Amino acid sequence: MMDKDFAARRRRDLIIAAVLAAIAALTPLFVKDVVVQNILILTLMYAGLSQSWNILSGYCGQISLGHALYFGLGAYTTELLFTKFGVLPWFGMLAGGVVSALIAMGLGYPFFRLRGHYFVIATIVIAEIGLLLFHNWEWAGAAMGITIPIRGDSWLKFQFLRTKLPYFYFALALCCLAWFVTWWLENSKWGFWWRAVKDNPDAAESLGVDVFNSKMGAAAVSAFLVAVGGSFYAQFVSYIDPESVMGFQFSLLMALPAVLGGIGTLWGPVLGAAILIPLTELTRFKFGGSGRGVDLIVYGTLIVLISLALPRGLLSLFSRPKKTGAAR
Amino acid sequence: MWGTTLTAQAIIQSLASGLLMGLLYGLIAVGLALIFGLMDVTNFAHGEFLMIAMYLSFFLFAFFAIDPLLSAPLVAAGLFIFGAVIYLLIVRFAMRAKANAGMVQIFTTFGLAIVMRGLAQFFFTPDYRSIPQSWLGGKTISIAGIFLPEPQLVGALVSIAAFAGLYFFIHRTDFGRAIEATREDPGAVALVGIDKNRVFAFGWGLGAALVGLAGAIMASFFYIYPDVGASFALIAYVTVALGGFGSVFGAFAGGIIVGLVEATTALVLPPSLKSVGIYAVYLLVVFIRPRGLFGSI
Amino acid sequence: MTITRRDVLLGATATAALVPLAARAQTSEVVIGVIYPFSGGSAQQGVDAQKAYETALEVINKDTDFDLPLAKGEGLPGLGGAKVRLVFADHQADPQKGRAEAERLITQEKVSAIIGTYQSAVAVTVSQICERYQVPFVSADNSSPSLHRRGLKYYFRAAPHDEMYSAAMFDFFDAMKKKGTKIETLSLFHEDTIFGTDSGNAQAKIAGERGYKIVTDIKYRANSPSLSAEVQQLKSANADVLMPSSYTTDGILLVKTMAELGYKPNAIVAQDAGFSEKALYDAVGDKLQGVISRGTFSLDLAQKRPMVGKINDMFKTRSGKDFNDLTSRQFMGLIILADAISRAKSTDGEKIRDALAATDIPGDQTIMPWKRVKFDEMGQNNDADPVLLQYVGGKFVTIFPPQAAIAEAIWPMK
Repeated sequence: MMDKDFAARRRRDLIIAAVLAAIAALTPLFVKDVVVQNILILTLMYAGLSQSWNILSGYCGQISLGHALYFGLGAYTTELLFTKFGVLPWFGMLAGGVVSALIAMGLGYPFFRLRGHYFVIATIVIAEIGLLLFHNWEWAGAAMGITIPIRGDSWLKFQFLRTKLPYFYFALALCCLAWFVTWWLENSKWGFWWRAVKDNPDAAESLGVDVFNSKMGAAAVSAFLVAVGGSFYAQFVSYIDPESVMGFQFSLLMALPAVLGGIGTLWGPVLGAAILIPLTELTRFKFGGSGRGVDLIVYGTLIVLISLALPRGLLSLFSRPKKTGAAR
Repeated sequence: MWGTTLTAQAIIQSLASGLLMGLLYGLIAVGLALIFGLMDVTNFAHGEFLMIAMYLSFFLFAFFAIDPLLSAPLVAAGLFIFGAVIYLLIVRFAMRAKANAGMVQIFTTFGLAIVMRGLAQFFFTPDYRSIPQSWLGGKTISIAGIFLPEPQLVGALVSIAAFAGLYFFIHRTDFGRAIEATREDPGAVALVGIDKNRVFAFGWGLGAALVGLAGAIMASFFYIYPDVGASFALIAYVTVALGGFGSVFGAFAGGIIVGLVEATTALVLPPSLKSVGIYAVYLLVVFIRPRGLFGSI
Repeated sequence: MTITRRDVLLGATATAALVPLAARAQTSEVVIGVIYPFSGGSAQQGVDAQKAYETALEVINKDTDFDLPLAKGEGLPGLGGAKVRLVFADHQADPQKGRAEAERLITQEKVSAIIGTYQSAVAVTVSQICERYQVPFVSADNSSPSLHRRGLKYYFRAAPHDEMYSAAMFDFFDAMKKKGTKIETLSLFHEDTIFGTDSGNAQAKIAGERGYKIVTDIKYRANSPSLSAEVQQLKSANADVLMPSSYTTDGILLVKTMAELGYKPNAIVAQDAGFSEKALYDAVGDKLQGVISRGTFSLDLAQKRPMVGKINDMFKTRSGKDFNDLTSRQFMGLIILADAISRAKSTDGEKIRDALAATDIPGDQTIMPWKRVKFDEMGQNNDADPVLLQYVGGKFVTIFPPQAAIAEAIWPMK
């Protein structure tokens, strides 16, 4: 009975996702304003990033506030390969993903022994170490960062002067990919293991579940996708420096949409990003120029209110009646 | 570059400065440790509590010419009320979350931190402030060529006194025992007539008062602006985690270690990397002891 | 106004001429975008900048009798007295946000030009966007030398960059040595963002070229909670001159820590930033008697050019502060930009760019001690002579170069 419901829900999710993606793909036909397009790109990017973060932190329950490390590694690998060796960003993107996934697994060995706040602080600290090292690494531009030379519109080099459409479709693809990976993992062996790990790590271990390897898998997938996001961001902004791709704020911006939308859920990150990112942009447009911190007050208050009022995230507004219905 | 500076005196001076700074880090962090130990909540607005304390000290000086050292008890009292009110108005509700309790607490206090920074900018302007003349500011004691700045020296003494007082309070007073009992079993204490919320509010007040003391001391030698807490927040979390969550003594030891490690790292690495030393030591400690040095949780 | 058949005919034949005419008829106001950090750690600079730009706006839009471009008469004469309106945007020190705000200002607010940005990292992306949309960008207060060397057509900087500033410091050292002062060793102390790194690199390079020995080169983390270890190293090295490149926060902590650790350098020659901020001198001014900082602005100029004092008073009523190195550059930047728009007689980006490129304002029609304002092919004004100022008795006096100096340098500082 449960399995049938589950399978039906998964089918429904997939159909909804396809419809939403199709609608999203058509929006540029109606939305010509580059500012709105810019907001849409950032929203899709953060939805994808948060979805990726959600794999490790939501599904697997390992709260990371250091994913900026992978974001930055993706950005730096791509741009160092491009500016120093002329490697096209498409390859750099893959290379960045692989580097990040390997580092995530390397870090996993010692990190996954840690629990709770010890783990969270370890992730913050490792990202800070990365930030400081890049800040002092002369060859990688140190504080000066890397300016990506723009020579005109080129799909090969993935750079475009004024049009935002290629960036938009890439961000959409990234978001869809991260969603689909999550959707697929939910029903995989790993997915079941992660739910077990999250619910009760000790019991899962005693049941013979390979807790450790499943965590490593989550870390690698999550880091890979986030790094791809980082390299996209570097191409999109066409300038990177340590602070602007590896700063703590990115770790937060990956976590916040999932938390606000509904952590450990398939739709939480997308919903969270769809509300949070336009909101931050609009509050900055509206109040940012005042110099009085009003945007911070509005933004912070909303985070507090949503966290308090909807501990399961905004998604619980939609799913609660259905859930109780299913239980009956 | 740094080879020439490694004289014995330079090393002793660095260690002495590191020790004083470390005791101050301990004092900044202990409030965080206390609140965590009491109710398993990490206050991500801790740096902003410090910022509020520094502003309070600054305004008491600017408007009433009260020296930061004299105003320290006032600031601590003010922060006590502030901490208790924050608990009663906000954190209390975060504790009630039935799902994702950890995340709700992290992001509630984090949102609070952003609001506090915004409010500080709104009301106090983003100008950098500082207290130009105070009893301690700029004064220094020199022993055999080793300089011990008075603000940090007094800060260190206050820190030691505060830790001693806290230890006495938790282990020797009725209320301290009530806190311990509440921490161990919040359900059971209700049966013996202890109001959990009152104990928690008191815990938040006490934690905030301790960071208030630290802020008052720091106001006499540090600059003050809305984002000042950010420089200290991560150090405070690392200090608490290094010492071990739930251990007040751990925060004390953690602070000293962080201060000393920071000072020695700057001797061997370029100073812009000195925090890397602190972070590396934290990672090393928790890899060996996953619950920090003295942690019980 | 009646429209005759002849006008219509003329108009029809001269469509090209009609476009600017139509544009001029519409432009009762010209919009300029101002991008600064208005929240976060450097919000203070943004807020101060806002006051400086509003002061410049008053000079432009109202009838004043200063000997500055656009001061006399209201608005922009080239555009029939059109008023300038400013739109402020917050980049929060984030290059991506700066980029997005620049794009929003250009496409939605329809700004004719953009001015900014305090942080050099943000200037990189804002100027790129401006280039793509062919909208001029005036870099009012960014001092990173790499900025104008990127081959951008729409980038303009009227003020000096760090290499010019650093060269002035070493010119000063050379002059002091000729007079018999012992200056052989230097300690560099710079923060780790673009500003400090660039400044440190420029100083190290020039020191090498001119035979000065750098005994310590300390790069520290901006906004560190403690600078004891760093100051300890400076003290051990005990160079003839300490050369800090620090923002306000670190500057305050540096000076306090130096006093606490008993380090009194012979001389401090600072790369501006924090060392031109009122907040720093409010905090530790008593310990900084005789400190030297580079600058592009000096209130001493008011003795020769009374309008400098009057404009400073206008700024002071808004902000409660005197003009400093940053706010004076911001003020001047907007005047120069608005002057170019007026001369372009158009709000079209390319025309404004050409007008900016043709700028030639004599130094005495500015509030700065510059020779003149004239941009080279990279958009840099090489005639913006930096000055060195010494903090004596609670105010700054110009000590270098000789033609601008009103006093001899006090050396050692005290």
